[in-house]
Amino acid sequence: MAPPQDKKPDDPKRDPSGMRSAATLLAIPSLLIISPLVGFFLGDLGDKRFHTSPWLALIGLAFGFAAAAREVGIIYKKYLETQER
Amino acid sequence: MGLEFLARVRRTSTWLGGVIALMAATYVSPMLGLAFAAGALWSLVNLQLLERLVVGITGPARGTADGVRRIGFAAIGMLLLFAAGGVLLMLLSPAALVAGFVLPLAVIVVKAGTQVLLGSRAWRGLVTHRWRAGIAALALATVTWFALGALTNAGGQPAGTPAGTTVSEQQHGAPTEAHGETAAEPEGEAHKEGKSEGFTNIIALVAGAFPHAAWARFLEHYEVLVFSLLVALVLLFVAFRASRDPQLVPSGLQNGVEMVVEALSDFIISILGPKNGPRFVPFLGTLFIYILSMNLFGLIPFMHSPTASLNVTVALALTVFVYVQFIGFKELGPLGWLDHMLGSPRDLTGWLLSPLMLPIHILGELAKPISLSCRLFGNIFGEDMLLVAFATLGVTMLPFKQLPFGVPMHAIFFPLALLGSVLQALVFTVLSSIYILLMLPHEHHDEHGHEGDAQHAH
Repeated sequence: MAPPQDKKPDDPKRDPSGMRSAATLLAIPSLLIISPLVGFFLGDLGDKRFHTSPWLALIGLAFGFAAAAREVGIIYKKYLETQER
Repeated sequence: MGLEFLARVRRTSTWLGGVIALMAATYVSPMLGLAFAAGALWSLVNLQLLERLVVGITGPARGTADGVRRIGFAAIGMLLLFAAGGVLLMLLSPAALVAGFVLPLAVIVVKAGTQVLLGSRAWRGLVTHRWRAGIAALALATVTWFALGALTNAGGQPAGTPAGTTVSEQQHGAPTEAHGETAAEPEGEAHKEGKSEGFTNIIALVAGAFPHAAWARFLEHYEVLVFSLLVALVLLFVAFRASRDPQLVPSGLQNGVEMVVEALSDFIISILGPKNGPRFVPFLGTLFIYILSMNLFGLIPFMHSPTASLNVTVALALTVFVYVQFIGFKELGPLGWLDHMLGSPRDLTGWLLSPLMLPIHILGELAKPISLSCRLFGNIFGEDMLLVAFATLGVTMLPFKQLPFGVPMHAIFFPLALLGSVLQALVFTVLSSIYILLMLPHEHHDEHGHEGDAQHAH
């Protein structure tokens, strides 16, 4: 979904939800970092419990990256929705 | 010089007594500080009762029933006060009690002396000439500098210093002491209890004054909770005062509170939209005000920022997490919520991928409270540590004078701390709003901004 060409996002008169756009994008950086970390540590906990080191930690890390990418995708979709108004 | 003079003496004595008592409690011993405060309080109450007695005997109400009642109350009050004084003399250090008792009298003498001095020709001659005034101020500062140095050297080491410890070492250890551990306790005691180093606070002082009392240990153990509840009580009080007698044309506190509420409401609605925004304003607005107050609470002397503890920030983030999940459950229904968690599969590929999407989605949801809590904790804790580091630097700058105070180096970081506190409260609120927004069903808008039916979650 591409942003419409006829609207200028930086024009406050055309973009009444500028605050929402800014706030939506603010959530991205921390989720990008935290999701892989959460995945890794949960996997590491599993490794310690089931003695499968390092496989669950690696799987957790991969899931974490996937979760981060998915969250960023969802947030970007929401951002585009806001811009379309 | 009349009753107004006595009122000024009381004000000055209260402030001065409080500062001296807190300094004595911090740098000498908590019991000494308590004794000094009790002595000063006793003396102030005594002065107040004496004033009532004299006004009752010589004032316009003398001879009337009201005058007699006033004299009676003052006399009974003085009898009770003397009894309380006797008990205090048995429990606390008599020397510190007497020092506190003398304080208001010393203030009276100094204030009276100042009034005489300010009216004198010599003073007028001194202050009207720029150079003379400058030289006099410089001379006064020099004399104070050397006198304080001489006094602290003559007094030897402060009472709280263990044998073989220099004042400089004690000053280096000031932040550890700040949480109630006396210098005599082994280093690292604070770390053992999982506590952070920081400025001294009122609970640490109380716990230091009553080291064996169970209630003091309880307060110290739950220090963060006590400060959080204190902030909540202050906010409750402000809200109660602001809304007690609402006026159509607001003024004063009501005006200020209405301004804040309106600004917050507009801000949240600008993020969540006019349809969903208003119903989340109470939760998100309260969150902002509570977090901001907790962040700023640490900047008040002898108080502590509850948000500098991970326990509080995790609790706040968990509240948001549970609330967001509840909203999702309520708005989407159980099946809609499950569909949302599975990544809203609409075709065969989607359904095949859904077992993979569930853990990914759960990880994404778990990351949100963790990022919220870690960010707030890290920023406020770091801010506090910065202030502590520079305050310690200010104290250790003058170790050769062995003074119980230092240069307020941390003052330059107060604007930064204020900005950081506001910003972090705002970021927490904005991100909470976004997490709610991401959980809400899509809104469809036409060109005029009207919102349509909710269709499905992302």
